[in-house]
Amino acid sequence: MKGKCYIQGMAAITPQHTFEGDLSQPLVVTHGNMLSCVEPDYRSFIAPNSLRRMTRVLKMGLAASLKCLQDSGIAVPGAIVTGTGKGSLQDTERFIKEIRDYEEKALNPTPFIQSTYNAVNGLIALQQKCTQYNNTFVHRGFSFEHALLDSMLLLHEGTPDVLAGAFDEITPEHFFIKGRIGHWKKEVISNDALYEHVSPGTISGEGAIFFLLAPTATAQSYAQIGGLEMLYKPSPGKLKTALPQFLQKNGLQVTDIDLVLTGANADSNHAHYYEVLNDLTHCPQLPFKHLSGDYETAGAFALWLAGQMLKQQQIPSQWFPMLQQPPARLRNVLIYNHFFGEQHTFMLVQAV
Amino acid sequence: MEELKQKLKVQIIEALNLQDTRPEDIDDNAPLFGDGLGLDSIDSLELMVLLERQYQIKVEDPREGRKILQSVQSMAEFIQSKQQPA
Repeated sequence: MKGKCYIQGMAAITPQHTFEGDLSQPLVVTHGNMLSCVEPDYRSFIAPNSLRRMTRVLKMGLAASLKCLQDSGIAVPGAIVTGTGKGSLQDTERFIKEIRDYEEKALNPTPFIQSTYNAVNGLIALQQKCTQYNNTFVHRGFSFEHALLDSMLLLHEGTPDVLAGAFDEITPEHFFIKGRIGHWKKEVISNDALYEHVSPGTISGEGAIFFLLAPTATAQSYAQIGGLEMLYKPSPGKLKTALPQFLQKNGLQVTDIDLVLTGANADSNHAHYYEVLNDLTHCPQLPFKHLSGDYETAGAFALWLAGQMLKQQQIPSQWFPMLQQPPARLRNVLIYNHFFGEQHTFMLVQAV
Repeated sequence: MEELKQKLKVQIIEALNLQDTRPEDIDDNAPLFGDGLGLDSIDSLELMVLLERQYQIKVEDPREGRKILQSVQSMAEFIQSKQQPA
């Protein structure tokens, strides 16, 4: 990827206490296989007259984006680019249910409008009066990564800054449906014990995470996004060669990596993919899905974590009790994540 | 009529999720849009759906809709006029 991309602001609403960007918060333990977000008080961000109509993921998306803009000091970004795997599930479910209940007649406009994937982007644009480029990617496990790639290309083409983000929610109904196709563990566990239960399936999650990206670094920069590589259903051979090639393309060797954040999620169906990291034994490899759960845009949470850790030069030990020896310094963080074995991503996040 | 207006207020609050509004806060003749309850164009569509679902009345002409949705009073009068046997 030509051109530079720096994170100038961030905000995250996740199943952990992440909204204030404070890494000292305790680990939120959920008993059950469905992690739900710790939500802030939305009234400080959204007017009551607008709030009354919004469903959960819209509130989460809008509040996280506005907090991110606040954090960056930029009110009107040069572009708004997001990714979502599912959009507003609550609205989609309500709309579909009403189609059935009212026999396709007398349907409420609100759930229809809000069930469209670009509803969050529209709300951000309206709230901030931003008439610039506005796009939402809905590409399953590549949704956020494609939004990020588009943002990086926009910066390269001269857009001064981009608000990039991801949002996804889980509902009991969707959890049930995905459970039927084997996404979740049969046994009920707690997220803090996720990695002790290596078996088919994982735990579900959700989150709304936003970044303000710019082509130049400043004192407030969190980190640089040094590289991004996506592989769709790679063969084991392709995956094995892809990682050294990715590092080489970014001028690094395996030993230059100080920390790996992995999407390992204790799903025995897809655990073998993480063997690609077997050569990185010199540095800690920390899984993050016990914090976020698994969902299409969980990669955004990993990027938020990497950005926070690089800026604060610390790894929150209460969130990562598996960490034995913290790295002496954090310069290069590698993220490797995949979505149920299909969409694989390498991301390089570097200290500024 | 009074009973209908009271029922309508409860239905409007529920349909539009007006969380901090009680039926007694809505004046019968106060405008629903603009200065009154401060509703917007999406709310007007929601109120059309309310009329169709709760009272089986379909408003076909948008110009007619504007008059009907002026206030709780005008909505109630319209519902009553439709419910009276011809």
